[in-house]
Amino acid sequence: MEVFETRLPGIGIRYEFTSSTNDHLGVLVRRDGRRDLVLYDHDDPDSCSFSLELNAEESAVLVEMLGGSKVTERVGDLRHEVEGLSIEWVTMPATGGLTGRTIGDGGIRSATGASVVAVIRGATSVPGPGPEFLFETGDVALVTGSVEGVHAAARLLAG
Amino acid sequence: MFGTTLLAAGTSGAVLIELGAVLLVLAVLGRLAARAELPSIPLYLVAGLLLGEGSAIPLDASTEFIRIGADLGVVMLLLLLGLEYQPEELTAGLRANWKAGLVDLVSSFTPGYLAGVIMGWSQPAAVLLGGITYISSSGIIAKLLGELERLGNRETPVILSILVIEDIVMAVFLPLTGVLLVGASPLEGALSIAVALLVVAIAFVIALKWSSPLSRVLHSRSPELLLLTVLGLTLLVAGLAEEVQVSAAVGAFLLGVMLSGQIAERGRELLLPIRDVFGGLFFVFFGLQVDPGTLAPALLPALVLALVTGATKAGTGWWAAKQAGIGVPGRKRVAASLIPRGEFSIVIAGIGMAAGVEPDLGPTAASYVLTLAIVGSLAMRFVHGRGRGSKRSATAASGS
Repeated sequence: MEVFETRLPGIGIRYEFTSSTNDHLGVLVRRDGRRDLVLYDHDDPDSCSFSLELNAEESAVLVEMLGGSKVTERVGDLRHEVEGLSIEWVTMPATGGLTGRTIGDGGIRSATGASVVAVIRGATSVPGPGPEFLFETGDVALVTGSVEGVHAAARLLAG
Repeated sequence: MFGTTLLAAGTSGAVLIELGAVLLVLAVLGRLAARAELPSIPLYLVAGLLLGEGSAIPLDASTEFIRIGADLGVVMLLLLLGLEYQPEELTAGLRANWKAGLVDLVSSFTPGYLAGVIMGWSQPAAVLLGGITYISSSGIIAKLLGELERLGNRETPVILSILVIEDIVMAVFLPLTGVLLVGASPLEGALSIAVALLVVAIAFVIALKWSSPLSRVLHSRSPELLLLTVLGLTLLVAGLAEEVQVSAAVGAFLLGVMLSGQIAERGRELLLPIRDVFGGLFFVFFGLQVDPGTLAPALLPALVLALVTGATKAGTGWWAAKQAGIGVPGRKRVAASLIPRGEFSIVIAGIGMAAGVEPDLGPTAASYVLTLAIVGSLAMRFVHGRGRGSKRSATAASGS
C-alpha cells in the first residue's frame, strides 16, 4: 500500500492513501498533537466530504481500537493474569520527551526497570522494539513494569 | 471644562480609563465579527477610525501608550508567524513553489506600484503600495481554512506554500523599503541594502543550521522564565534589527523562524494572548492615524485597486492550483483563498505612515484592506458553500 506524505507549512504533515474499496483517506498530523481524520469526496477528490478532529488522547484510543488488535488482546490477558504488573500506553509528543530519539538513548530499562514491549505507529505495530528503535511523533508505546517504573518511563517518554 | 480636567493628559487614571474603553470596544467588535462570520481585523481598524483624530470620540491620554503598544503588536504578529514555521519548511516551500511565488509577486505587486505612480506618489510610497497589494493575510486565510475544515484538502498545500513565499519575500522587502524611506544617496543606499540583506541572509543560515541547539539552550520548563526569555530576546533582536535598517518586524520574524521545537511550541501558547492584545492595539493605532474625513476621496482608487488585485490574486491561485494538478472546484477554492489582505498590508502601510512618505497612503491602505479583508473572506465562504451544496445534492440524488 502506498501512503503519500505532504508537508503543510505551519500546520504539520498530511498522510493519505486509497483503500481497497477505493475510498481515499487522509490523516492530518498537526504539530500541536491534534489529528484530523478525513475522507476525500468522490466527486471533488481535492476536498474532504468528512473531517473529524481528534485530540492526542482520542487518536491514541482510536489507534488502539483500530490497529494493534493482537497487542490489545494480549494486554487484556496480562491485566487479568498478573498482579503488581503495570501497563501504560504512552503517546509520543510532537516535540520533547524521546520523540526523535531511540529507546537506547532514553536508557529506559536501566533508569526505570520498565520496558517498552511494543510500539504502534499508524496502522502498523512493532512488537519488541530494540534499543535502536527511533520514536516518531504520534507513536504509541506500550510500557510494562512495576507501577513506579512505568510511571517513570512514561515521564521519560512523553517529556 | 469638567471633561478636560477629568481626562487631563498624563494622569494615569485617564490613561487606564481610555485603554480599558479601547479594549472593551475591541472585545465588542470582535464578538460582532464572530457572529457575522467576518475576520476581526477590519473591525479593529474601524474602531481606530472611530476613536481617532477628527472623529466623534477622540482618544487623548492613552495615545502614547497605544503607539508603543502598536510597535509591540507588529513585533508580536511577526514573531508568532515565524514561530509557526520550521526553517526547513521555508526552504522546501521556496524550492517547490518558486514559480507560483514569482507569478504572485509580479501580478499583485505591479498593480499597486503602478497605481502609486499614476496617482503621482513618490517612488518609496508607490513601492509600499505595491507591497500592500501583494501580501495576502495569512492570519485571515489560515483561520478560515481551519474553520471551513479545509486543512485536509488537497489544494490547501498550494495556498500555504504561496503564503510561505510571501512571508519570505516580505523578510527581504521590508529592509529594502526601510532603506528607500531613509532616502540616502545611491552609494549609501546600496551599502545599507547590502548590510540589511546580509543580516537577513545570516539570520536564515543560523535558522537552518543552529536552530535546534539554540532552541535547547534557551528553553526552560518554567513558563514564567520561558516567557521572559523569549519576550526579552524578541524585543532586543527587533530593536537591533530596526537600528540596522532591517526593520523590527523582520527581526522578530527571523527570530521566530530560528526558534523551533519545544520552545516554539510553548512560546506560541504563552505569547498568543500578548499578541492578541497588542496586535489589536496595532490595528487601532493605525486607524487612529487616519482621519475618517480623508477616507472618502481615497475610496475610489482603493476600490479599483481592490478589484484589480483581487482578480490577479484569484488568477494566480487558479493557475498555481492547475499546475499542481488540482481539479476545477479546488482551483476555485485556491483562487478565492488568496484574496484576503489584512495584517501585513497594514504593517507595510504603518511603516510608510511612520516615515510620512505620502498623506494618502494611510486612507488608501485602510479602505483597501477593509474591502479585501471582508470581500476575500466572503469569497472563501461563498466558494466553499457552493461546493458543499452541490455535494449534498449529489449524495441526495444518489441516495434516492
